[in-house]
Amino acid sequence: MKTKYIFSTGEIKRKDNSIAFKNHKGWNYIPIENVREIYFLNEVSFNSKFLDFIARAGIVLHFFNYYGYYSGSFYPKEHLVSGNLTIKQALAFEKRRLEFARNIVKVIAFNIYEVLYHYYRHDKKELKPYLEYLKKVPVYLEKAQKIEKILFVEGSIWNEFYDSFKYFLPSDFILNKRVKRPPNNPINALISFGNSLLYTKTITAIYHTHLNQTISFLHSPQEARFSLSLDLSEAFKPIIVFRTIFDLVNRKKLQVTKHFEKKLNYALLNEEGKKIFITAFEERINEKFMHKSLNRMVSFQTAIKLDGYKLIKAIINDTEFMPFLIKEKR
Amino acid sequence: MISGTFINYYIHCKTQMWLFANRINLEDNSEDVRIGKVLHEISEEKVDEVSFEGIKVDKITKDYVVEVKKSDSDLEAAKWQLLYYLYVLKQKGIIKKGRIEVFEKRKQNKKKIEVILDDESEKKLLQIINDIKKIINSKMPTPKFENQCKKCAYYEFCFL
Repeated sequence: MKTKYIFSTGEIKRKDNSIAFKNHKGWNYIPIENVREIYFLNEVSFNSKFLDFIARAGIVLHFFNYYGYYSGSFYPKEHLVSGNLTIKQALAFEKRRLEFARNIVKVIAFNIYEVLYHYYRHDKKELKPYLEYLKKVPVYLEKAQKIEKILFVEGSIWNEFYDSFKYFLPSDFILNKRVKRPPNNPINALISFGNSLLYTKTITAIYHTHLNQTISFLHSPQEARFSLSLDLSEAFKPIIVFRTIFDLVNRKKLQVTKHFEKKLNYALLNEEGKKIFITAFEERINEKFMHKSLNRMVSFQTAIKLDGYKLIKAIINDTEFMPFLIKEKR
Repeated sequence: MISGTFINYYIHCKTQMWLFANRINLEDNSEDVRIGKVLHEISEEKVDEVSFEGIKVDKITKDYVVEVKKSDSDLEAAKWQLLYYLYVLKQKGIIKKGRIEVFEKRKQNKKKIEVILDDESEKKLLQIINDIKKIINSKMPTPKFENQCKKCAYYEFCFL
């Protein structure tokens, strides 16, 4: 099951039992059974017949505007519904929010540690104090008895993480301050774009489980978004989004003058930049590894769905929920 | 309401039955399940599927109730599923024999297997039904790893 990205402008429609896409080069046919989700990164027209076709196949569509901002998803009607589980998920929010939120933050710290340890080993000894801080995160979390405190720890982890970029990224990609909407420099643009891609990937993963997208634990369910997707994507941010960024930037595959919009102060990826980023992102999320407890090969993309399963199990069996740790990779 | 699938899953795997009963029916990308569905669709054209009170009978002839399966890999489960159909029909005063038709032979040589509801199997069936009700209303049974688990749609869910 694949993810399709549509970069060019054009028209998309149902043609017999296939998806047909037309751009300036002509028609292109995509067999529907191989598609799990489609990303639209440009202006494409379609009709409701196409949407109906897509919905029946359970395909999720994600829309990004020309500037690379996420505009929304088309989400077919739920095919996996369990009233029982929804009730239990809501009850878990009441009873177990802190416990779940703590574990999500623990995993963020752990996975960032793994990503940065690579640079530490390669002579970036300045990272040492931050790595030591990350090791102590579980202790700080145990002391945090309110969600605000947990969120504060989470905020500090990310802030210090961004601050550490100066030790191992080229100077034009150093982050002074994380600015989100709109991003104000190349690295902020990369982080925003990468996080939105991961967020939408997680929406698709959750769609294929019985979980309710709006009942979240670390993030507040009042966010009027699919906030569970924000929760479940956290564990994967360091591994998928940031590893992709560091790799592309350090290997100079992405360069400020070549791959960002000059007229927008380099604060947005240009089309070529987006293509390079998405190709690397896809490669990473599809990378397969031997899963420790399952004893079979799974991709990171599947691992996101498996985190959904873990959450379901934790909710129905009253057991611990521990999101994806890079340790699960054997 | 209990259906034939409950009985089948009860014999096959109690965890699977619990999850199914609690509506946690995970998506299945496996080829086998798809083939099974297609076979049912194909055979539906040939026969009239009869469904009532939670049972869905593939075919009813003068003497037989027929259940179509892709393979004979878990015949025991298919057998009890069919016995349940025979039992439900018997309550309505319809007495028939059962026949399982398999498309693919794995464990034995016959393509058609006859199943008969007698006093002994009826007694056991009632016990099974009772037990099913009990399991559904308690905690999820802890999955135990068996060879058959590797092919199950719930494999990842169970052993994560």
